[in-house]
Amino acid sequence: MQSNEEIRLRALMLKGLDGDAGAHRAFLEGVAALLRGYFRRRAADPAEAEDLLQETLIAIHTRRTSYDPKYPVTAWIHAIARYRLIDAWRRKKRRGVSVPIENAWELHDTPDDNEVDARLDAATLLEKLPAKQRESIRLVKLEEKSVREASAITGWGESDIKVSIHRGLKALAKMMREETA
Amino acid sequence: MKTQDLIAALARSEEQPKRGRPWLAALVIGLVTALAIFAAFIGPRTDMIDAIGVVFAKAAFSAAFASIALALMGRLAKPGRPAAKLLRGLAAIFLVSLIIAAIALMGDDPGARMQAWTGGAFPWCLILIPLLALPFALALGFVVKTLAPTRLALTGGAIGAAAGGLGAMVYALHCPIDSIAFVATWYALGIAISAVIGAVIGARFLRW
Repeated sequence: MQSNEEIRLRALMLKGLDGDAGAHRAFLEGVAALLRGYFRRRAADPAEAEDLLQETLIAIHTRRTSYDPKYPVTAWIHAIARYRLIDAWRRKKRRGVSVPIENAWELHDTPDDNEVDARLDAATLLEKLPAKQRESIRLVKLEEKSVREASAITGWGESDIKVSIHRGLKALAKMMREETA
Repeated sequence: MKTQDLIAALARSEEQPKRGRPWLAALVIGLVTALAIFAAFIGPRTDMIDAIGVVFAKAAFSAAFASIALALMGRLAKPGRPAAKLLRGLAAIFLVSLIIAAIALMGDDPGARMQAWTGGAFPWCLILIPLLALPFALALGFVVKTLAPTRLALTGGAIGAAAGGLGAMVYALHCPIDSIAFVATWYALGIAISAVIGAVIGARFLRW
């Protein structure tokens, strides 16, 4: 028996994989709604939970070819979320921070569907990237220019820009993980 | 950064997931490298032409390990899918090869058993199978790392076992000892050693 959530998210995921950006966005929003509570119940505080959620969203986006459409998408999402959580604990442990086993704050403090600001400011992290990756992400992701426009502005090739964005996002995800650890 | 903004930025990205056949590429790169190591340091057995049938049989035995381990590895690289059946299948093939070894030894003349089992010399396959497995393991490991393995030690073990089976297929071109008990014992052990090394290295190397 499949849950409504599974049916809805799976349909969005498959459309997104076919190149439907709107469906992909709705899918990521659905994932965020699905996982926010999961991380809030397990992280030390809401900001850390939001960091974990964002790391997971990036992983789900950049590794979406690791989804096998023959199996439930919610199982895939939860496997990745659990991995990010365990990985965060492992990094904390290595640095000698105690691992939270129980809820460190009152669960009903903040409703799960409310967003809090993640502790990390993406703009600060962006500054740490190499110039090409930073510019590519700034133009295409933040200023919403097309890759072609960004190419015209910078003089870099289109595929060059796509690769820079991809690498930059990966590097950002890594930095976020290191900062939260 | 608000999660909403992150989602919007991710959804705007135009980069398409990479196409191509990474598994096939990894197998080809692994095979070419393993054959180069083989040609440079090991070399084929001298009676290759007469022994072609038994070489083929030994390679097929190794291929059985490789195929189940490759399936398990592929299963674990994309998470959220059950892997228990394939894991049991891999365990079963190790068990079967030990049973084959025991039956073959029982059929041997008691005086000749030790000779048939150990091959009468140091079992080089315990070192050479993991060595020939290494290029396969590295190439496959890089592909797995681009996906989303979540059980790292287990995935590393599957990579090691798959690479061990593939390495044993190459090693079969050299190995001069043809007794069934020998092959069923020491090839399986060589592949098992590759799997253990894979699990230990995988637990660190496969992190993402």
